[in-house]
Amino acid sequence: MPTETVEKKDSKFNLDIKKIMKSGNIGLIIAIFAIVLVFSILNTNYFTSRNLINILTSASLTGLICVGESLLLIGGYMDLSPGSTAAFAGVAAALLMKAGYSAPITVLIVILVGALVGCCNAFFITQLKINAFITTLALQSILRGFAFIISNGEGVLITNSAFLKIGTFKIFGVPFLTFPIFFMLLIFIVFGITLKKTRFGREIYVVGGNPTAARLSGISLKKTTYILFIIMGVLAAVGGMILVARMNTGQPQACSGLEFDGITAAILGGVALSGGIGSISGAFIGLLILQCFNNGLIMLNVQSFWQNVAKGTLLLLALSFDYLRSRRRVK
Amino acid sequence: MSEYLRFEKISMEFPGVKALEDISFGVNKGEIVAFLGENGAGKSTLLKILNGDYHQTSGEIFIDDKEVEFNSPNEAIKAGISVIYQERQLAPYLSVAENIFMGNPPVKGGFIDFKDLNKKAKVIIDEFDLPIEPDEQVRNISVAYQQMVEIMKAYNRKSRIICFDEPTASLTDSEIKILFKIIKKLKDEGKVVIYVSHRINEIFELTDRVVVLKDGKLMDIKNTGETNAKELIKLMVGRDLGDVFDSLSRNEKIGPTVLELKGVNTKYLEDINFQIHAGEVVGLAGLVGAGRTEIARVIFGIDPIKSGSMVLDGKPYVPKSPRQAMNRGVALCPEDRKMEGLALIRSVRENTSLAILGSLCKAGFVDSKREFSFTKKAIKNFNIKTPHMEQEVINLSGGNQQKVILARWMSMNPKLIILDEPTKGIDVGAKSEIYDMICEVAKQGVAVIMISSELPEIIGISDRILVLKDGRIKANILRKEATEQNILSFAMIDDHKSAEEGV
Repeated sequence: MPTETVEKKDSKFNLDIKKIMKSGNIGLIIAIFAIVLVFSILNTNYFTSRNLINILTSASLTGLICVGESLLLIGGYMDLSPGSTAAFAGVAAALLMKAGYSAPITVLIVILVGALVGCCNAFFITQLKINAFITTLALQSILRGFAFIISNGEGVLITNSAFLKIGTFKIFGVPFLTFPIFFMLLIFIVFGITLKKTRFGREIYVVGGNPTAARLSGISLKKTTYILFIIMGVLAAVGGMILVARMNTGQPQACSGLEFDGITAAILGGVALSGGIGSISGAFIGLLILQCFNNGLIMLNVQSFWQNVAKGTLLLLALSFDYLRSRRRVK
Repeated sequence: MSEYLRFEKISMEFPGVKALEDISFGVNKGEIVAFLGENGAGKSTLLKILNGDYHQTSGEIFIDDKEVEFNSPNEAIKAGISVIYQERQLAPYLSVAENIFMGNPPVKGGFIDFKDLNKKAKVIIDEFDLPIEPDEQVRNISVAYQQMVEIMKAYNRKSRIICFDEPTASLTDSEIKILFKIIKKLKDEGKVVIYVSHRINEIFELTDRVVVLKDGKLMDIKNTGETNAKELIKLMVGRDLGDVFDSLSRNEKIGPTVLELKGVNTKYLEDINFQIHAGEVVGLAGLVGAGRTEIARVIFGIDPIKSGSMVLDGKPYVPKSPRQAMNRGVALCPEDRKMEGLALIRSVRENTSLAILGSLCKAGFVDSKREFSFTKKAIKNFNIKTPHMEQEVINLSGGNQQKVILARWMSMNPKLIILDEPTKGIDVGAKSEIYDMICEVAKQGVAVIMISSELPEIIGISDRILVLKDGRIKANILRKEATEQNILSFAMIDDHKSAEEGV
């Protein structure tokens, strides 16, 4: 009997390895090691605990966007507005507290604002059948504009110490587990499980794989679309608040290009641009690759213009991989 | 006589599957050769090797005694090979002439010379004796003529080898006649014509020889004049299917009324009245566009009702969405498997469990053990041929894809199931399996509505046949009384004509 259970465990373990190999994540993990290795050689300060915390901290915001975008991409959509949503949310939070609202009330209101942005995107996409790309591009511009309007174009200082704790306090006192990092990991785990194990997660895959078939199988496309965009809106709003809590100031120009990083990370991690395929665990690895790479460029003092070029190149690379994967699937 | 096109020991292997094994034969100029075989027999693979989509694992292709090798469809086109697919590959907003000359329009000073283009196109259209204008937009002409445009495109490229892949699937009988005339013209001009179809009648009407494939092997090559349908089917499936319908074990016990439509009007339907009973199979016949699919859509809550009412199980039935229809026990297997039925890139498991996913869940979480055993049972019960349940549905044959959809809907224990063209594009063997499944479903007391364009099928399966024309029910015929002629006469002959005759 005991030997049998051992064998069973073994075979399950093998299966997992096979799964990882098949999902293509192994190549991505190798890519992370390669990136870390190269940058460590080029700059001895790269592979230090302080810098690794830096990487994770900067990933904490992009990570939230990456989760939202992954869900949307798998469901066959895309959202270009979360960067502006985050900036607007940050400024709005700072202003609300300046006006005397307490931290919990502020957080609640801003989360509702994020949900409203999601509803707005979903409304135009489901009710008026406007393409998601264009709808969210419009919202991107509108929200960025409002971020500047309500702040008069200037940063808004935050003095509420309870709120500022969001950016700094450490979970269980663990030095690298600051709230932003913890929250990002939590969101990855929660939505990783949601996508893989729940009925809603399955519906996202089917909707992204074939919306017509999904509708004719009793799935409400409207409901799914609304939920996906609301999740994205709320994650962006929370991300924006966490950022301003870290920075002490709500900046209207913050977070530009955030959606770009989120989408790049998702696609790097194997989420298909065409919908229906991908996983949150893959997206997490994609996020790490992107952040290790971005951070490495900063550590090497690469001029920011060149960083833009490098980021764009990385996205093209990710898209090329996506194309190759989709070709292999169709055979 | 040396053959113009020759396959020499062609083999094609996909990981784990031998799609083609050692295929050798040749086709002469001016000959029409049919590829016949079940889905998965290797017809499409062979066609795809010929047009450069795939590259064979081993073996050679010779054209005019010269060995050729194609690495892309473009190279095959340049070598004079054209494939006319079921799905047309035309630009709908461009004119007929522009489509015919796509890729090589006449140019003057860097601009397209439209005068010359239309003149040249007109010459070709006249050659084919077709009543279409070169400057007409392609989207405005009928499906059949769109196909003719595609053929003229191939003709204009001076293709020597023209292949047809299920060209008649969406054509009406009169359109098929026009197509056949054109294909015969191509033959007379010395083209090599390859014709792939599931419709055996067409093969007898059109082709000179039949290449029968089964499981990737060449079974036999017959001269069409020296064989018959029974023999060919036997070669294809390895068993006698002479009287599929007679041997079906039908449901004899018709139960109470399940669904009644009373004076239903919609955008497409006029005054639809009928009842369907438990265990009864009702066939909807009629030409494409007569309103058959529209009836299915109303019952499944996709299209809204303008006036009239429906009663399901004695209670009013006003479905506003497929979900509401499903909640009342109504299921629909849509006509277009790939576009409307399946998430092709997802697994057999996910596609099969889709309709009853809710009942496999605990607190919103999918119970993977129950889903696993459910899928295992479905694969067995519906005889779905797949290496494992995680296989993406895109890799299954058409027949097995259809079984996945049937399994999905039957698993929700429906009171009424609507099957829209359940055997479209499916090979003979899988067809008879599906027929058995339909009878089995009826025996379980489910009311079945079957829509089909194949008259023998609809007569063979249905207990009762409703014939539709222009959105109205023209006739209600019992199986005993149904013949292809009387169904067709209701489906095709205009009212005013018969009225005039009456006077």
